[in-house]
Amino acid sequence: MTIKIGIDVGGTFTDFLLAEEGREPRIFKVLSTPSDPSIAVADGLREIAASYDPPLSVEDFAARVDTIVHGTTVTTNATLTNNGARTALLTTRGVRDALEMRRGIREEQYNNRYTNVPPLVPRHLRVGVGGRLDRNGREIDPFDGDAVEAAVVDFRREGVEAVAVCFMNAFANPAHEQGAAEVVRRLMPEAYLTVSTDLLPSIRFYDRVSTTVLNSYVGPKLSRYLDRLLARLGEVGFKGLLLIMQSNGGVMAPEVAREKAALTLLSGPAAAPAAGMATVQAHGQSKCLTVDMGGTSFDAALVDGSPVMVNEGEINRHRIALPMLGIHTIGSGGGSIGWIDEGGLLRMGPQSAGADPGPACYGKGGERPACTDANLVLGYLDPDFFAGGRIRLDAGAARRAIETHVARPLGLPVEEAAAGMYRIICNNMAQGVREITIKRGFDPREFPMVVAGGAGPLHSCQIANELDIPLQIVPRQSSIFCAAGMLMSDLKHDFVRTFVSPLDEADWARLEEIVGAMRRDGEALLAAERIPEDRRACHVKFDCRYLKQYHEVSFVVPEDAFARRDVAAIKAAFHAEHNRLYGYSLEDGGVPVEIINVRVQAVGTVDKPTFPVQPEAGPDASAAVKGERRLYVPERNAFATVPVYDGHALKHGNRVEGPAMIEQVTTAIFVSDSHACRIDAHGAFILERKPAATPSRRGAAAEEMPA
Amino acid sequence: MSPAIDPIMLSVYARTFKSITDEMSISVQKTTRSPILCEAKDFVTGLYDADGNMLEQTENLPILAFSLAPVCKYIIEYFGDDIHPGDVIFHNDVFSLGNQNNDVAVYKPIFHDGALVAWAAVKGHQADIGGNVPGGYNPNATEVWQEALRIPPVKVYEKGRLRRDVWDLIFANIRFDIVQHDMKAQMGACTVGERRLLELLEKYGRDHFEAHKAALFDATRRMMEAEIASIPNGTYGGEGYVYYDGRNPGSKYTIRVKIVVEDKAIRFDYSETDPQTDGFVNGTFTSSASATILTFLQMVNPDMPHNEGMVQPIEIVIPEGNILNAAYPKATTFGNHLCPPNADAIIRALAPVLPDRVTAGWNNLLCSLTTGIDPERGEKYVDIGFMGLKGGSGAMRGTDGYDHIGMIDASGGVLDQDYEMFEQQTPHLLIKHEYLPDSAGPGEWRGGLGVETVFRIGSDDTQFVTFGDGDFEPAFGLFGGGDGTLNLIELTYPDGTKVVPRNKDLLTGVPRGTIYHQLAGGGGGYGDPRRRDRETLRREVRDGVISPQAARDVYGLED
Repeated sequence: MTIKIGIDVGGTFTDFLLAEEGREPRIFKVLSTPSDPSIAVADGLREIAASYDPPLSVEDFAARVDTIVHGTTVTTNATLTNNGARTALLTTRGVRDALEMRRGIREEQYNNRYTNVPPLVPRHLRVGVGGRLDRNGREIDPFDGDAVEAAVVDFRREGVEAVAVCFMNAFANPAHEQGAAEVVRRLMPEAYLTVSTDLLPSIRFYDRVSTTVLNSYVGPKLSRYLDRLLARLGEVGFKGLLLIMQSNGGVMAPEVAREKAALTLLSGPAAAPAAGMATVQAHGQSKCLTVDMGGTSFDAALVDGSPVMVNEGEINRHRIALPMLGIHTIGSGGGSIGWIDEGGLLRMGPQSAGADPGPACYGKGGERPACTDANLVLGYLDPDFFAGGRIRLDAGAARRAIETHVARPLGLPVEEAAAGMYRIICNNMAQGVREITIKRGFDPREFPMVVAGGAGPLHSCQIANELDIPLQIVPRQSSIFCAAGMLMSDLKHDFVRTFVSPLDEADWARLEEIVGAMRRDGEALLAAERIPEDRRACHVKFDCRYLKQYHEVSFVVPEDAFARRDVAAIKAAFHAEHNRLYGYSLEDGGVPVEIINVRVQAVGTVDKPTFPVQPEAGPDASAAVKGERRLYVPERNAFATVPVYDGHALKHGNRVEGPAMIEQVTTAIFVSDSHACRIDAHGAFILERKPAATPSRRGAAAEEMPA
Repeated sequence: MSPAIDPIMLSVYARTFKSITDEMSISVQKTTRSPILCEAKDFVTGLYDADGNMLEQTENLPILAFSLAPVCKYIIEYFGDDIHPGDVIFHNDVFSLGNQNNDVAVYKPIFHDGALVAWAAVKGHQADIGGNVPGGYNPNATEVWQEALRIPPVKVYEKGRLRRDVWDLIFANIRFDIVQHDMKAQMGACTVGERRLLELLEKYGRDHFEAHKAALFDATRRMMEAEIASIPNGTYGGEGYVYYDGRNPGSKYTIRVKIVVEDKAIRFDYSETDPQTDGFVNGTFTSSASATILTFLQMVNPDMPHNEGMVQPIEIVIPEGNILNAAYPKATTFGNHLCPPNADAIIRALAPVLPDRVTAGWNNLLCSLTTGIDPERGEKYVDIGFMGLKGGSGAMRGTDGYDHIGMIDASGGVLDQDYEMFEQQTPHLLIKHEYLPDSAGPGEWRGGLGVETVFRIGSDDTQFVTFGDGDFEPAFGLFGGGDGTLNLIELTYPDGTKVVPRNKDLLTGVPRGTIYHQLAGGGGGYGDPRRRDRETLRREVRDGVISPQAARDVYGLED
């Protein structure tokens, strides 16, 4: 018997998904313990052990657990709250301010009250030292080890915990960085050290210095957390493999995470695409969109055979240039507040009521109307059955908030104002989905949309209508989607080297040497993570551009093309990707193609849990009807009385025609007029757009809403 | 009968227009090849209605932004009924409402059900536009033909077919091939805008679109009117100064603005501004109007849709023949850079009545442009020194100026070159690029810091152009705040000779090994520096951006 557990630490709850061979997956939730999240992890294991019949001791249970996959937001929170380690930077003399300047950007051009983000390293701890390499990596000025020694002595005096080393042109020659690292290790062995060329040996100084500093800034926190977690797991007798979720959608051993802590910075929603992929694979598909709507944010990601990656992003306005999933996050959630701007237009968010005071209907003092208030007024939420009845909702408070802040200023009835709030937030989320599809050259109509998060399935039919998406899937474990995704994630390690050369004139011997070295590094990490050889694979990617373009396009180099040194095939793959992304290529113009970076991703495949199939029970869903409710039907722009189904009672093959509500303890699904729902063999809810549901809404606004 | 207005749909349209122009902007940034476009983002994308009214814009560099709608209207009038699906029109001509010769626009008409419904446009600063000097900045020019190829509205595509003869005529007069590719990228972005707008029209229909567009303009106009109404009625005057016209050493010109606020309308009247110059230090109507609008926008709620309604309550009067609106055929390439002194005049005029909304003076642009041949790679390069030119912004009540933000006409929208990419794209070696200590104008709220830039020139026979200002008069302080520091560019030749080029100059034959040294000054301070928060001040001393001496003497720090 093997047991795997996915553990996702959230702000309020820590979610556990237990996958045990031959049994239904089971969900556990315990309260999070923000001061030390590992406490909740141990609490959860105890609760799970106790749930067996007869109850097991936590030691007996833990000893049988094969793998724990763990997602942590320790590093994310440290960055968002400016609460990382006291960090110092060693860099080339003359460029120490690049980190704080952020290339001189002010994101809000017309807003003179918008200030720069505080740097992660204060200026007096950013030290420029002598030594200079040119753009080809040739030494112009020798490395000044004495200056580094002096700086390190000062760092010790200043109580510095972590050091980042990033020198100009180190991507072409790491010698000076290694020299500095040697001094730091010798004089300050206890410091957490990040060397830019170990973490990210690629061109672009600002990207590299920012990423390197982020790694040092969060590294000590993550290390200490992992120490505590491993100790607690050891105390309860866990002897299996612990894996940590990364921003690239893969997992890694704690030893790797310790050194490359920045790899976890955007890992919060990173398990969703793997969960989405597993969900659609059950339907024989390999593509999907995943959307996850929580209390304050809406995350959207794309899977096209594999999850779509990007090579750079931002956290709290700090640049991070590591491969990560292309997840787009916008400030739209159940807590998003509706407000009227100076021109009289209704807006939703990005301000959020959060969990405290929360939406007005929580009755905890919130006075401004949130998305959840609108959903309550529109009839999408049952005031007595929110979170399975754990939170009692105050419909009067919701109406009053909407009346005061939206309806009266717009001169609309409360219901119509609530409907407006609902439409605006659905439109915002549809625009968010555009960011990851159309703006990256994908057609959203080709992707089934996997919907997660407590509030997601209340809005997803309207997102689908807006973007013409024909099929949605709401997994049974929708509310703990990320914990499920963790169990579906493989080990992944990304490597990059800058190799600037025209593709036609590339030195293949050198190229093969570089790729070979990265493969060996990848294999070594996977071996250390106990992945057998037959489960390891390496994928090669190039970042190329047309000569003198500034931005590169990253694309997969076909395995055999690389082996055969087939430049024509590699070029064809580049032209195709450029055309897909930007609507044109310069294939016909004969413009030379340049390589900038070479990448390798090493993947170790792990066993995925399989879930049992339920017997077919026929289309009749009437046994699951638990009542009816009057609610707003957007396609009719009117209220109607619709049936309410108990989601837990719906069986494989059951069919529910929209408009209808399906309620579970943690999720409610609104099957809109334009949609119908059926239950699949794994208990997931499949929502299909009815053929008659045309996207055209011509004249819709002229219809009057019945008062 | 026009459809009823749905207040919710107004928000949907506003949000969607913005999303479209943003998407067009990403397309330009990712596909152009000149670093001026893809790195510095010196371009604007926009959508306009069938009459050329602005629907929305993404204004990476706002100084280009407010000529797009006037030119669109001009094009509509120019071609009359000769506008067809598949047409693509180029334009840069400053005597038909263009703002600057190098800023070349692509316009694409959008048709729905056979009728012209809208326009997509992208305007970007091209790496070259012909004329006497690569890159376009020719301080010796006295007429437009010495500066650039003029492109009045011209169809490069007609009904979907490339007019190869026209295309070749244009690009036969432009030095670098990348300009062709970049113009194609701008066309591609217009197509992106066209596709998305058509989706919207398919969904809601033309009548719905038109009715809601008009209502959206009204809502935005009311928003701007409310902002104007909050300024006391009256007439306010201010001045800004332009030093050196590129021809007559010691010359100085004054921009005089008279701002008349009457309830919900505001008029900027430049009738008393000095006459045009003999050289290229002249504005065009739209570059000057853009400067006025973008400065005023910084004094109102920044969260306002950018459409026709926003500019309707603003009237701008600039008689032809003055330095802000030169008469044909004067040279005008410097015109965009009259924005900082124009902004100074506006700020000085409104500071007494809007003390909580104005900033102190911003650092004025002083820029250099180097061209030559990379000796190691045998390739031509052009580099605009973006990283070096960006000084600090002025402080305002409650907020320090922004460090290293650059001129007010970009307001942080133009990025530094990445240092390592700079060394790949040019033969130069960067020696220093750091904050300049004590450059910030002191104040209770200090100005933004300027920067110091040093690099070693790596090409032989380098051509070197400077353009800008701010080396005679620093960014001014307000309400007891002090001035920022001055700009400077200085070259040290390998033989030790030091050369300080004038602020509009052209040097040739600059040798390899010359050391380039630039100071971009800080912004002006606001309020009495002795009232500055002590803890912040001590931190700044520790970080070395304010010297202990200045802290003691200027800020009165005692410990």
